[in-house]
Amino acid sequence: MGDSQYSFSLTTFSPSGKLVQIEHALTAVGSGQTSLGIKASNGVVIATEKKLPSILVDEASVQKIQCLTPNIGVVYSGMGPDFRVLVRKSRKQAVQYHQLYKEPIPVTQLVRETAAVMQEFTQSGGVRPFGVSLLVAGFDDSGPQLFQVDPSGSYFSWKASAMGKNVSNAKTFLEKRYTDEIELEDAVHTAILTLKEGFEGQISGKNIEIGIIGEDKIFRQAPYLLPN
Amino acid sequence: MSKLAMDVPAKGGFSFDLCKRNAMLAKDGVQLPPFRKTGTTIVGLIYQDGVVLGADTRATEGPIVADKNCEKIHYLAPNIYCCGAGTAADTEAVTDMVSAQLQLHRYHTGRESRVVTALTYLKRHLFSYQGHVSAALVLGGVDFTGPHLHTIYPHGSTDTLPYATMGSGSLAAMAIFESKYKEGLTRDEGVQLVTEAICAGIFNDLGSGSNVDICVITKGSKEYLRNHLQPNPRTYVTPKEYTFSKKTEVLSTLVTTLKERVEVVEAGDKMEE
Repeated sequence: MGDSQYSFSLTTFSPSGKLVQIEHALTAVGSGQTSLGIKASNGVVIATEKKLPSILVDEASVQKIQCLTPNIGVVYSGMGPDFRVLVRKSRKQAVQYHQLYKEPIPVTQLVRETAAVMQEFTQSGGVRPFGVSLLVAGFDDSGPQLFQVDPSGSYFSWKASAMGKNVSNAKTFLEKRYTDEIELEDAVHTAILTLKEGFEGQISGKNIEIGIIGEDKIFRQAPYLLPN
Repeated sequence: MSKLAMDVPAKGGFSFDLCKRNAMLAKDGVQLPPFRKTGTTIVGLIYQDGVVLGADTRATEGPIVADKNCEKIHYLAPNIYCCGAGTAADTEAVTDMVSAQLQLHRYHTGRESRVVTALTYLKRHLFSYQGHVSAALVLGGVDFTGPHLHTIYPHGSTDTLPYATMGSGSLAAMAIFESKYKEGLTRDEGVQLVTEAICAGIFNDLGSGSNVDICVITKGSKEYLRNHLQPNPRTYVTPKEYTFSKKTEVLSTLVTTLKERVEVVEAGDKMEE
């Protein structure tokens, strides 16, 4: 295959016009645990499976949904360590924005800056793209917003979206049940039902995580496992 | 991987490039513009449930009062506040920067910030600038380990005390504390004592004046009492407006209306591409 000769170096286009490393990164995302998000008329909900590799793992030490600012939260599909690095960078960018403009960072700005970081890693030497896609959920002056950011650095605003293993089934399910007037309570139910669709084994409060932001603009996680 | 400083400037630290030029200008008699200093009386004390911080509200530029009601109690974290004396720009910039660093730290650890963390960020920063960042701070807060009160000097040294004062009015305020402080004060006694100490600074020190700001921090809550006491209101304001005599008299008036030189046609041809 002509492509395989160009798949080692990130900064080289393949003859078919693709950056094969980014395709591989998307594959890594596609084999990650399912996560999804739904934008309601009065808030946003994001959710993910939390399947731990063994029952011996201390589930309190794993928090897949993180908050970037008090009113913006994020979930991922793909490689956990890459997610941690992005969360750290995004939090710092949000704080720096606030330092400069004395305004909480708008969701679109934070998404743009995070996407810019991810793009940097597709055009630099000696690095590889991030193996995660992010779902950023936030509520600011423009209302509730849900964005997906891919390893290539491209971002999209969604009304509802899913990523990871069960993406096609989950998206079909969401398409059927989504309406523009859906309220936050219903959206949370729909999110859990969508997760249940592709869930292997018994779904329970201990193997999923939910993040919700309502009109009070405060991002809350369930379960919140970090100490006070 | 995480550094204490935010983004270290390319050259690192203070740039001393202009010092030679300044020395030469000083020799020619040109003086540096006066820094806007806060003159200031700032105090803090520990009472039975937490910490009370107090500050006056006058900012001076040499002999001139630049701001009659400025805010000297700065936010660092929900449970930590810091009073600042010295150059106003320095105290504001340094407390702002440390507040951002503390917020990032809170996200990463998932815990409430500790007063000693703020203390260490501040003293490391001030020491690295060798006293050129002229900020003298009274740092107080309540965290998991209890109430804490510290003073930080511009060169980076710190003290941990049950009651503290800083600024040009510190001696007046300390006189009040030394005579009336005792352990186990109640909230009202603490606020009363802090108010008295700041008032001593306001009335006896030229660099301090105007109103008293108070901040009470306890476990899990804080009260920011802006202008808790206003002992210097404007007592005399002229009831009628100031009238200024007319210096220029109108002799005659001639009005010329603007004449249209271009005819505006609605719905004309679209511009050719």
